[in-house]
Amino acid sequence: MAARGAARRGAGAGPGRGPDPQEEPPPPLQAVLVADSFNRRFFPISKDRPRALLPMANVAMIDYTLEFLTATGVEETFVFCCWKSAEIKEHLQKSKWCRHTSPNTVRFVTSDLYRSLGDVLRDVDAKSLVRSDFILVTGDVVSNFNISAALEEHKLRRKMEKNVSDDIVIAMDSATNRVLHYQRTQGLKRFRFPMNLFQNSIENVEVRHDLLDCHISICSPQVAELFTDNFDYQTRDDFVRGLLVNEEVLGNQIHMHVTTEEYGAHICNLLMYEAVCSDIIRRWVYPLTPEMNFTDDENQSYTHSKHNIYRGVDVSLGHGSVLEENVLIGQGTVVGSNCSITNSVIGQNCKIGDKVVLDGAFLWDNVQIADNVEIFHSVVCDNAEVKEEVKLKPHCVLSSQVVVGPGITLSEGTVISLHPPDEEEEDDDQFSDDSGVNKEENKVKLKGYNKKDVGSEGKGYLWKADDKNEEDEEEQRQSLWGKEEFRVVTWGWADRLFFQNEVLGTLQRGEEENISCDNLVLEINSLKYAYNIGLKEMMQVLSKVILEFPLQQLDANLDSQNYFSALLPLLKNWTPLFKNYIKRASDHLNALFAIEEFFLEHDSLCTSIAKVLMTFYQLEILEEDVILNWFSLRDTSDKGKQLRKNQRLQKFIQWLEEAEEESSDGDQD
Amino acid sequence: MPGAAERGAELREQMEAFVARLRGGGGRPRSEDTARHTLALLRKIIAHGHWGSAGELMELIRAEGRRMAAAQPSETTVGNMVRRVLKVIREEYGRLRGRSEESDQQESLHKLLTSGGLNEDFNTSYPTLKANVIEAINELLIELEGTTDNIAMQALEHIHSNEVIMTIGYSRTVEAFLKEAARKRKFQVIVAECAPFCQGHEMAVRLSKENIETTVMSDAAIFAVMSRVNKVIIGTKTILANGALIAVSGTHTLALAAKHHSTPLIVCAPMFKLSPQFPNEEDSFHKFVSPQEVLPFTEGEILAKINVHCPVFDYVPPELITLFISNIGGNAPSYIYRLMSELYHPDDYEL
Repeated sequence: MAARGAARRGAGAGPGRGPDPQEEPPPPLQAVLVADSFNRRFFPISKDRPRALLPMANVAMIDYTLEFLTATGVEETFVFCCWKSAEIKEHLQKSKWCRHTSPNTVRFVTSDLYRSLGDVLRDVDAKSLVRSDFILVTGDVVSNFNISAALEEHKLRRKMEKNVSDDIVIAMDSATNRVLHYQRTQGLKRFRFPMNLFQNSIENVEVRHDLLDCHISICSPQVAELFTDNFDYQTRDDFVRGLLVNEEVLGNQIHMHVTTEEYGAHICNLLMYEAVCSDIIRRWVYPLTPEMNFTDDENQSYTHSKHNIYRGVDVSLGHGSVLEENVLIGQGTVVGSNCSITNSVIGQNCKIGDKVVLDGAFLWDNVQIADNVEIFHSVVCDNAEVKEEVKLKPHCVLSSQVVVGPGITLSEGTVISLHPPDEEEEDDDQFSDDSGVNKEENKVKLKGYNKKDVGSEGKGYLWKADDKNEEDEEEQRQSLWGKEEFRVVTWGWADRLFFQNEVLGTLQRGEEENISCDNLVLEINSLKYAYNIGLKEMMQVLSKVILEFPLQQLDANLDSQNYFSALLPLLKNWTPLFKNYIKRASDHLNALFAIEEFFLEHDSLCTSIAKVLMTFYQLEILEEDVILNWFSLRDTSDKGKQLRKNQRLQKFIQWLEEAEEESSDGDQD
Repeated sequence: MPGAAERGAELREQMEAFVARLRGGGGRPRSEDTARHTLALLRKIIAHGHWGSAGELMELIRAEGRRMAAAQPSETTVGNMVRRVLKVIREEYGRLRGRSEESDQQESLHKLLTSGGLNEDFNTSYPTLKANVIEAINELLIELEGTTDNIAMQALEHIHSNEVIMTIGYSRTVEAFLKEAARKRKFQVIVAECAPFCQGHEMAVRLSKENIETTVMSDAAIFAVMSRVNKVIIGTKTILANGALIAVSGTHTLALAAKHHSTPLIVCAPMFKLSPQFPNEEDSFHKFVSPQEVLPFTEGEILAKINVHCPVFDYVPPELITLFISNIGGNAPSYIYRLMSELYHPDDYEL
């Protein structure tokens, strides 16, 4: 498990004014709870049940969040629901928070039009629901913080605090905990920080990478207004970035509160779900432990025994069954004989057969498990059935009402659901609850169940994450388990691809129509501004395009000789192009890097690298100093080093050095 | 009646708040405060609840008491106070019935044979029962307030000059006890810090403010230092029916070391901490809090591979204890059963 310095979030936005003297009693603390995550991270599980109602240790997630808010002293909570709002409303109305003795009044605001956090906050502003500072949380936060300390700080400062997450790099001023720069990692290993961070009069800037974001924010009322003003703020990230960029203009600030002693987590994917469930069972979130039964539900009373075993009422264990450690068994469950259960959560009224091995299994209510089954690190949702001799490898998910047939082994990461996977393509309105129902029934009649996926008596379809590549999404596409699947498609890359294609088109036209180089330069310049490409990038793209040009004409014949003979005339024609863009030493270096990259990608052409470099040198596009400099660079990758060992290249370098000595001798004379 | 409904609602709110606070488990509430709150709540229930006869009242109290006790099993004072109130009700009822107190209490062999068992049905209703019970509860409350002082008054008999006294953790009763003795005698105190909560530090600070020579040491040094100690004086959370203790984690070590060196172990605890339960697996007086104190979360990767537990309480068997000092005087552990029979009725041992 990754290390987590549990970071608290407090967020509040506000102009940097001091607090007004309070002559009247402070208004009651309010909270805005967004019971919808606006993403499909938990599909297909959340197709049947909204994310806020997923059970963590047999208690719905939203109960943890409400308990946390109530313990902090919040007196009025607005719950905003969109997807499956009726179920959330029903659940909360039956729970203890809607009794009139509850210190926290819960009010519901539902709408089908919400598409993002931004919409919710704009609604908050439009309806003027909040009167003063409020706490903003999502419905899937588990924590035992006592926010009052941060609230006090916030009231003193009336500024916004920010929390950070494991995949966020943040730069902050250590004296005031003010956030200066914020960036998502997205798997990058190097980050750039703008210079003006360090040039302000701030003395100590800390860069933190080890904090975990809990998505709890303390906001001042201006936050809602800012969302209304800026229509393109959709998520919290937008807001933070916007705020940080416009900081000097508007004077808003974000602050961060870090705590190492209390526990807080935001469930964003199934790995987090697993981790937080085990933490709850091992009592890290005390006092929100299972036997405390903080929801006051009669079905949820557990007794806590040695080794963190929690047993509900009416649980029966067969002969020889062993509950090793960290197990939670819900009410009414029957466990057969000779079972071995560890690190698992079992819901209510489950039936488990004989000789079953459960390790890291999360079973929800009414699950039936037959004999000789092995389940490792998987989630089995409500009413599912697992027949005999089935083995579930780690990270499998069986969604609601699925049946998995006898004798089958599901490989790692399999997700089985009753919703056929291509139903999603027809669902235009992704957040509509009922429109998909009829279509689903029809589909089921049309298709049978694939026996290879779910076994001979099984019911369910293999679910694959949506493979469509949506290039304008800023976030990475992450699978259910939070692992990154394929390439990062960010805004910058998409631009660059377009630019590359455009440059290629330009050069092609240039060659066919014999356009002079000046005009080509003009065109490329205008493209550069249109796509907002930096000089360095442009240099790289240009070199790459030119070097790749012959490849398109040669097609299959990727022979070094042919390649070079095709390339040479092009280089001669376009020398002015190069000369125009390669002026300073850094440009030379960039061009060399681009050339290197190109040859690394096309190994078969390696042998001609010496000739290419020679050509560049002779056409006076690149100078020998720079080439020598590039060659002697130490910190290249392994492939780069191999490239440099290429014999011809070495000969060329040798020749260059001799030539340089001669010329320098010549100078001295 | 709107007034009654209002009061009923208010009462339920207070009950909820109390139960929620018990569940919260945070901080270290004084047992005396918990006891006082419980009694106040029970008094309100008696005053405003709907009941006709003593039997109904007892059922009502039992139900509420069960709920409060289940909220936090390690807070035994809640259950103890409920049982005291039940005993009070029985007594008042008996008095109104005309029976003398003596004959009610003892179930002598003669009585068993002749009367064929008690057949109290508690169904007759007496109008003055309510007032009597409430008055008795008020007396209980007054008694509660005086417990610490009563215990402290006995200090001079037990602490002599130039003695070295050892204690562990922070007990307010022991603090009062030692402060009272320090007014007339000069002695030294060694405080074991009682990891992982380290409340011994606070105790040492308070004692030293009274000019008592105090030393703080870690729990590991208890055995080493024990040979120099004359007496060990500790407080406790609960006294069980067999004379055993449920005290802060670390007390068992202290008791074993004291036994080994034949140092007397004196327990200062008021009578409301005496619980009629015996130690067994099910009742689980134990409270396991977040392992954060033992191994902080920032330790990282290793946490997935190990189990960390942080128990708050320890069990100390009765053989290791020399003397109980309570508000009614000093008693040996073997006498606890007698004290219990005076405080609680046998039918109430199981709420």
